[in-house]
Formats: sequence, C-alpha cells, structure tokens
Amino acid sequence: MTRRAAGRRPGLAVGRAAFLAARILAAAALVVAAAPASLVAGLGVAVAWRAGWPPGRLYRAALCSLPMLVVWLAATAAATRSASQVAEAPYLAWLAMWHRGAAGSYPAAAAVIAPAAIPAGLAAGGVCWAYRVRSMATGSGGLAPDSAAAFDRRQWRNQARSAQARIAAPGAVPLTTRNDDLAAGAVIRAVGHPARRIASIPYARMRSHQVVIGTSGTGKTTLLLRLWAGFMATALRRNAAGRGGPPLLVVLDCKGGADARRIADRVRRVLRVAGARSTAIWPDEAGLSLWALPPAQLITTLVDLIEHGTGSAAYYADVLEAVVGLAVEAPGGPPGSTADFLARLDSGWLTIAYASGHHDAELALVRSAARQIGDIALRFRTLFRRLGGGLDGPGRFGDSDAWYCILEGTAEISVAEAQARALVDLLASYAAYPPPGPGPSGGRREILLAVDEFSAVSRRLPVWQLYERARSLGLAVQISAQSWAGLAAGEDERYRIAASANGGVWLLRTPRPEPVAALAGTRQVTETTRRLLRAGVWAHQGTSRMRLDPVVDPALIRALDVGQAAYIYRGGVTYVQVKRLVAPPAALQARRVAPTRPAAGHMEARQPPPAPPAGQQPPPRPHPQPAPPDVGPLLDEAFGAEPSS
Amino acid sequence: MYGVQLDHLAAALGVSEARARAVAAGWRARRHAESARLGPGGSWTWLTRAGLAAAGLPYAPAPPALARLAHIRAVTAVRLALEAAPRYAAGGGYWRSERRLRSRMGGRVGLREHVPDAEVHWPDDAPVAWAGECWAIEAELTPKTASRTTAIMRELLTRTGDYGCLAAEVRVPGRPPRHARVIYLCAPAARATVARARAALGSAAARIEIRSLPPGAAMAAPSGPRAKRARRQAPPSASWRGAESQQKPAGDTR
Repeated sequence: MTRRAAGRRPGLAVGRAAFLAARILAAAALVVAAAPASLVAGLGVAVAWRAGWPPGRLYRAALCSLPMLVVWLAATAAATRSASQVAEAPYLAWLAMWHRGAAGSYPAAAAVIAPAAIPAGLAAGGVCWAYRVRSMATGSGGLAPDSAAAFDRRQWRNQARSAQARIAAPGAVPLTTRNDDLAAGAVIRAVGHPARRIASIPYARMRSHQVVIGTSGTGKTTLLLRLWAGFMATALRRNAAGRGGPPLLVVLDCKGGADARRIADRVRRVLRVAGARSTAIWPDEAGLSLWALPPAQLITTLVDLIEHGTGSAAYYADVLEAVVGLAVEAPGGPPGSTADFLARLDSGWLTIAYASGHHDAELALVRSAARQIGDIALRFRTLFRRLGGGLDGPGRFGDSDAWYCILEGTAEISVAEAQARALVDLLASYAAYPPPGPGPSGGRREILLAVDEFSAVSRRLPVWQLYERARSLGLAVQISAQSWAGLAAGEDERYRIAASANGGVWLLRTPRPEPVAALAGTRQVTETTRRLLRAGVWAHQGTSRMRLDPVVDPALIRALDVGQAAYIYRGGVTYVQVKRLVAPPAALQARRVAPTRPAAGHMEARQPPPAPPAGQQPPPRPHPQPAPPDVGPLLDEAFGAEPSS
Repeated sequence: MYGVQLDHLAAALGVSEARARAVAAGWRARRHAESARLGPGGSWTWLTRAGLAAAGLPYAPAPPALARLAHIRAVTAVRLALEAAPRYAAGGGYWRSERRLRSRMGGRVGLREHVPDAEVHWPDDAPVAWAGECWAIEAELTPKTASRTTAIMRELLTRTGDYGCLAAEVRVPGRPPRHARVIYLCAPAARATVARARAALGSAAARIEIRSLPPGAAMAAPSGPRAKRARRQAPPSASWRGAESQQKPAGDTR
C-alpha cells in the first residue's frame, strides 16, 4: 500500500458518510414533502403488518380508491375546462393543502389532498410492504440474522389474530357462497393458493374424495360439521335449481359411546339449519335392512361379515360361501330378515327347499356340507346377536337426507368392523341401483360417505376399493382419522388413500404430519448472497441458486391452534381458521330429568338396561309429565293480559 | 313466512311504511322479491327464487295463496307480537314457521296429518322457566268443529317426532312429547270452540293456552261502495268476517 493511498482513505470514508447523510436527508425531505401520501403509506404498512395482509391487499385498496381520484379529476375538468388545469390539479391541491395546514385548518387540508394522496399512498405502502416481505423472505432484511424467522412468526400470529377477528364478525363467513362454493372459514395464510379473505372450496371438491387428519380436541368435528352442512346446503340448492340429484350424507362414526350421541345430536341440528329434512341416527333411532341387498351382493356381504382366514382355512371359507349361497338363493327367494336367514341355516330346511327335483347339484352340496352347517349357523347366530337389530330394520338410505351411523368401535372393534362393512355394502348397492325417481337425475343422489375415526374399522373396510369405483357410483368418500397411522393398517394403503384424495387433504394439529405434508410437494425458493439495495434493485456481487422448500411446514402443522387447519390441494396449502357453526337448540328434547345417583357401585350404574329378548319390543315406559311452568307473563307481554272470566 | 303485508314488513324492519315500501322496491329491483296488491290493505311482498336462494332458504318460490291471505297475516301478527315481547328475546326463542316445517316434510304430508302454524323452540339454557321446551302455535280465525279441534290438539300434544322424520318415529310410545304446550291465538268467533275442545282433553288441557289474536292480525276491511254497504248491514264484529272469508277451510290441514 502506498503512503498516498493510505492518506486518501479517511477522506474517502468522510465522503461516503456525507453522501449517505445527504441521501437520508433527501429521503426525509421527500417524505415530508409528500406528507399526505407518506402518512397514508405508513398507515397502510402498519395495518398490513398488524393484520398480516399480503402486499396485494394494499394494491387492491389503492385500486378501489382510484374512482375517487377519477371523479375528482373529472370534476376539476368540468369546472375548469382545461387539460393543463387537470394536469396541475394534484400539484395545486398539494399547495392548497400546505396553505390550509399552515392556517390551522387541518380537516380542510386533508379533504383537499385526500383524492390524490389516498390512492398514491396506498400504492406506495404496498411497494414498501412488498419490499419488506421480500427482503425478509430472502433473508436479506432485518437487523439480526434471525430477524427473518422472527418476522415470519410474528406475521403468523398477526394473520391468525386477523382471521379470528374475521370469523367473529356476524355473517362474515356464510356457509356457502353464491357460486356454490363452501366457505370453511377465514384464510390465515396461503402458499401456492390465491390469498383470499374467506377460505372456500368449490362444491366439486366435496364430490371428490377427501382426507381429514387431526388429533382429538383440535377442532376436527367442527370442521367436519361445517363441511357436511355446506355440502347439504349446496347440494339442496343445486337440486332445487335442477343441476343435480338430491344429496345424501352418510356418516359412519366409528368411535361410538356417549360422545358419538352428542355429536349426532349436533349434526342433526346443524343439518336441519342447512336444509336437511331428516337425519336418521342408526342404530339408536332408525334401522337399515341388510336383506334389501341383491342376492349376489348379499352372499358376498354375509360371507365377509364372518371373519375367516386364508391358507388351510380357505377350505372353511369355501364351505361357508357355499352354504350361505344355498340359503340366500333358495327357490323361495332370498331371506327377508335375520330370523329367516338363520332358520335356513339348517340341513333339514335346505334339503326340503331344494327337494323339487330340479336342484340335484344343490342337494348334493347340502349333503356334503351337512356336517358344517350347524357350525356356520352358530357363527352367524353369534354375529347377529352382537350386531343387534340395526341391520334388520325396514329402512333404506333413501328414507332420509342424512344418516348418522354410530359404530361402537371403541368398545367392540370386531362388531364395528362388521357393521361398517355391511353399511358400506348397503350404501354401494343403493348408489349402484338407485330407486327410480322424478327429475333429470332419475332418483340418483349425490352421496357423501364420511367415515370418522376410520382407524377403528380400517382393518376390514376396503375403502380404497370403494374409492376406485366410487366416482362412477356418484359417491364421494371423506375419511378422517386422528393420525397418519390411523388412516389404514398398512403404509401402502395409507398412501393410496391420501393420494386418491382429489378433493384435498385437511390437516389439523397432529404429531406426525410429515407424510401428508410431503404429499403437498415442494416449491422453488431462491437463495441468494446478493444484497438488496433498495426496492427492486439488487447488487451484482454474489450468487443465487434455486432451493426446493416444502410447501407445508410440518413444524407449523404441529403448532396449529384449536380450530386452525391446513387445506392441501394441488401443490398448495391454505391455512384456515375454521368458523364454528352454531346450531339452534334441540327441538325434540323435553325437560331433562337429572340422573339419579345409583345406590350400588358406579360400574353397575353404567351397565345398559337389559335388552329385551329378540323379536320382542320393550314395553313403553310412561313419560312423567310434571305440571308445565307458567308462561302467562310472556303471553301477557305478547298478546295482552287476559280478562278474568 | 309465505309473504308479508306492507304494514307488517314495516313493523318487522322497525321503519315507517314509506321506508318499507322503498326497501321492498329495492328487493324488487334486484329481483329478490315480488310485490302486488293481493287483497284489501297494503301490498304483499314475497321472495322470488333468487331471493330465497340469497337468503339461503330451501323453499319453492310462490306468491301467497289468495285463500290463505288472512291466515298468513294473522300468523305474521302473532310472530311479530311474540318477538316484540322482552321475555321472548331474553329467552332466545326461535320461530320455526309452517313453511319451514312443510319444507322439511318435502311434500310427504299425510292427508290427515296436521302441521301447526309455527313452532317456537326455547334453548335448554335459556333464563326462563320453560327453557328447553318446544311449543306449537295455532292461529284460529274461524271455528272448526269442537271434535276436529280436539283431535288436532291431541295430535299435537302426543307427537314425538320432528316434522319430516321417519313415519315410525312420529308417535313413539314412551318418548317425551315433542310439543310441551300448544298456544292457540283465537279470533273472537273461534274462541268458544277452542275452549270447548280444550275442556274435552282432560288432564292434557293444562298444556293448551288460549289467547286472543294480537291487534293488527285482521285483514283491513275491503273498500268500495259494495263493501261499505255490506259493512253497514253487518254486526259489530264483522271486521273478522272479512278475514274469515279468505282463510283456510275447517277441514284443510295444510
């Protein structure tokens, strides 16, 4: 280094400092000179930061306020009839603003400059906010190295708070929108999806398969209720307009227990508001007839209800199928009830049924299987005793707009599996052979099968088979589970279910979201060492490279709050604050009688009352009717006091 | 609600009739509603298909039936009177109209099945003594026979299922009744018959309340020289007769 160069360095530093100071002063002067627009821009940035808005929101606000500017300019043109006056109008308004401000007339000053300052300020605010967001996204902004991460966390909090405020406003989130979309709640953040205020999905996606994953207590039921009610309301509206068949919602609640009954009551009330005429609760209040299945399907279903092995046990499975086939396809027609079917599982009955002389092959079959028929009858008798009377009822799926089927998957897994299998077969049969009906759909209904807590029955319910033929039947399947592992027994089947979810995947807080998050794919992110000089201007020193980041951040999913969900669809994700549906009060409940404390131990108190013998109805219990409370004061208020008679 | 007359619309909106007329005109401009003078008194307004869709109501669009104008007006007056009562608001009562009940039944109303003019539901946690109850509301303008009225009362008091439920659930022994009580709002002409019918019920009569229809429930008297002549010749309570001539017949169970 030469002495001359060393002597020049302090001078260079001073020069640079002076240049920087001049730039700051010039920028400050510009900000002060454009004070109205600067003020609006500052306010815009502050609001966008506080509410977690994307920059586009400020641009849209600027666009929305443009008519004010246009009207003001038009009024100026009409008053002055001079193009130069119109061109000078913003400058003259700016001058007038300062004059009136100096005179202490601040409202008048604001009114004079507002038409020009508001659109310009909002646009400038949008640019500043975009600069800030972009610099943080590339990691080049902020004072500290971890500023970008802290900024993202703060933005998430702000966006979540803003979304919560949005759903709290009455009427802000309708159940459905005008173009048949289902509104789920307010958008918190969107990646790869359009950033709208309201998170809505087209009705067509409810007609495709969906998957919902979330642990208990994360708002899964609230989300499902909203989706079901939205499906019902939209489908009914489309049906009324002649654009589709009437809806049918079938929910299989595979948990069972008192909780399922409470949810069933809530579902009924919510669906009633959505327009459903009736919601049947199976098996508590309504029954379905397994015996309405076509004979061939009935044989398959009955055989599948009985758990049988493979390998050497295949022999037994073949005998079982042959005997069931003989009982169902007997010359007198298929059985009409459980009792009828069980009565046929008798070698004597089968011999007489096929003794007409035209069924020699069947008679030979009866003779060769005679030793096993008793065992088969015993197994079916045991099975139907455990299944209860829910599958022996007179009803069909077409009798109601919605069915809420409660399967005791927690208490009796094998029974729940068999029930689920039978119900799905019944539904598939109903979808494949709908009863004739009026209208262009000809009785074909738009069916949504929702299986809640699928893990309880996933071992024996071949939903992926149903998935593959469901679309042609007009049947959409919605599977929900508490975790990825709860979706199905094997990893292959899980991926198959999730990958077939054309209608999207709803992900709530769950401890292991990685497999589902991976389904959303990745997005290209630029990683750069170049410096951001100012808005849109980057230094040429440094390099950039493309990096693939996951669209869904598993850490964010693990940290989701109650009522927050991520909707994954086509390589994008929308984080949603789900709007809770408030149902009107229960219509059928009479005054509840407080449960009396049992004298014996509480375990005995939990036992259900003894079931009546098969085929016998329980005797009706007289309902206590206490004296009704006096409603006179209310009626006096509404209709006037009654004259004493 | 099938339709509403202008004065009731003004009362529901809490505005003057002129303002209500302007509001209805706005709805008409957006094709959400239709208005017409269907009978004596102010014009009637009812929702079109677009209006029903905008309101999220799954009903078939139709103008109010001429034969039922008086009855619809009476039921609307009952609803307005009830909703104006402070205890009703405090209890969070929910009015479920006959139209909604019929919509739920989807045209499956049995020939002899009676649908009340409305239901009022009270939330379980309402701060009123009758919380959790469901009431049936009946507006009576003309007397049916006492036996028919008794049969309707019995039907309402013993029903257990919701409207539109499976046929097997309509009346299930052992289940609590759907309607904790039935409120009859009667015109003077119908009151005696309703009282006789209630007396025939025995112990269940405690669940029947009878009141007079509120002011404003009657249709305005028809104008014109012929109507004036008829009014001069009519007895003092003839203001109800005008309404009675248009309401549903005694055997009509709609």
